[in-house]
Amino acid sequence: MLKEFTKGIFKENPIFVILLGLCPTLGVSTMVINALGMGAGVIFVLTFSNIFVALLKDFIPTKVRIPSYIVIIASFVTIVEMVMHAYMPSLFASLGVFVPLIVVNCIILGRAEGFANQNGVLVSILDALGMGIGFTLSLLLISLIREVLGSGTITLFAMGSFDGVIEIPLLFNAPMRIISLSAGALLVMGYLKAFFNWYSSRARG
Amino acid sequence: MKDMLKISSRLGLICAVAAIVLALVNSITAPEIAAYQKKVVEEALQQVSVGYEIGEEITSEDETISSIIGINKDGDLAGYVMNITANGYGGPMVILASFTSTGEIIAVQLLTNAETPGLGKKAEDQSYMTKFIGSGDSTPVPVKKSNLTDAQADEISGATVTFSGIAKALQLGSSHAIQLGGTN
Repeated sequence: MLKEFTKGIFKENPIFVILLGLCPTLGVSTMVINALGMGAGVIFVLTFSNIFVALLKDFIPTKVRIPSYIVIIASFVTIVEMVMHAYMPSLFASLGVFVPLIVVNCIILGRAEGFANQNGVLVSILDALGMGIGFTLSLLLISLIREVLGSGTITLFAMGSFDGVIEIPLLFNAPMRIISLSAGALLVMGYLKAFFNWYSSRARG
Repeated sequence: MKDMLKISSRLGLICAVAAIVLALVNSITAPEIAAYQKKVVEEALQQVSVGYEIGEEITSEDETISSIIGINKDGDLAGYVMNITANGYGGPMVILASFTSTGEIIAVQLLTNAETPGLGKKAEDQSYMTKFIGSGDSTPVPVKKSNLTDAQADEISGATVTFSGIAKALQLGSSHAIQLGGTN
């Protein structure tokens, strides 16, 4: 059962192995804080959509399963957005733009279709948490590389006197701008994917 | 036929439950969100009108300017705060800007927007707007990249659509302020 949890982090990592959810990955990975926000949102929505898809798998007719999943996912995303906007406005101000993006995140639909509709509630939760954490870690890695090289900063949450931005000497004054632009996203993603392919083929022998 | 009925009724049921739940959540959160939004606009209004007293609201005839509020200095009308809708990369953006009656930009704040984080979203920072402040009167509002210094042009690279959206909105606001005129 633990395997269902860990597979999302390494063996079936959504970004680097099954290549799901690339659009938000490439879009928001310009700052580290974005990766954290997007990751938290995906973990939450993925967990709840997996729970409901697993619960309703016998009720949902096979022929219209995709529209049903979309309705369930979109409802959760909208609820998260409204609650966050109303009661956590400062969090919404920094993460608000990512929330609607979660609806179109293929990982969530992919896990509903590929896992939750054939499995029980408990394993589906483990699957969701594993996939969510795997997604977050991968996104964190890409955004760390892109922000350090592309802007020379690491942006985290602002706390007290700390404004949330760590400036890297040298790179801050002469950043490689291309890395923080769209082309840089594809380059970093491609190199990382190549590295992980090389690494796993070497590990297999 | 029977199958068809079953499928559509079940999909309909799922949608209906989702709609009811969403309507419930919305009825609870909508007033909170409206109150928060109002607070944000009020705070921004305070910030862009620093050094002036907030005067009376003037009706706006321009569609893209949703509200105009006069700002006074020593009791005389000295300029205007305008709520302008600009076209950004991620759809409409709401800008709150103050102008003197001669069209000079005093302060700008970017409010509601859906710009890309790390690129267009940078326009929310106070430092972003410094390139516009002071223009509009004797110097024109910079609407093209070529009007900017190299450092400023670098800053907006990757987010040119956001920049030109804001610049055009400010240009409109500035010429509108000149049109309205004032006492000085």
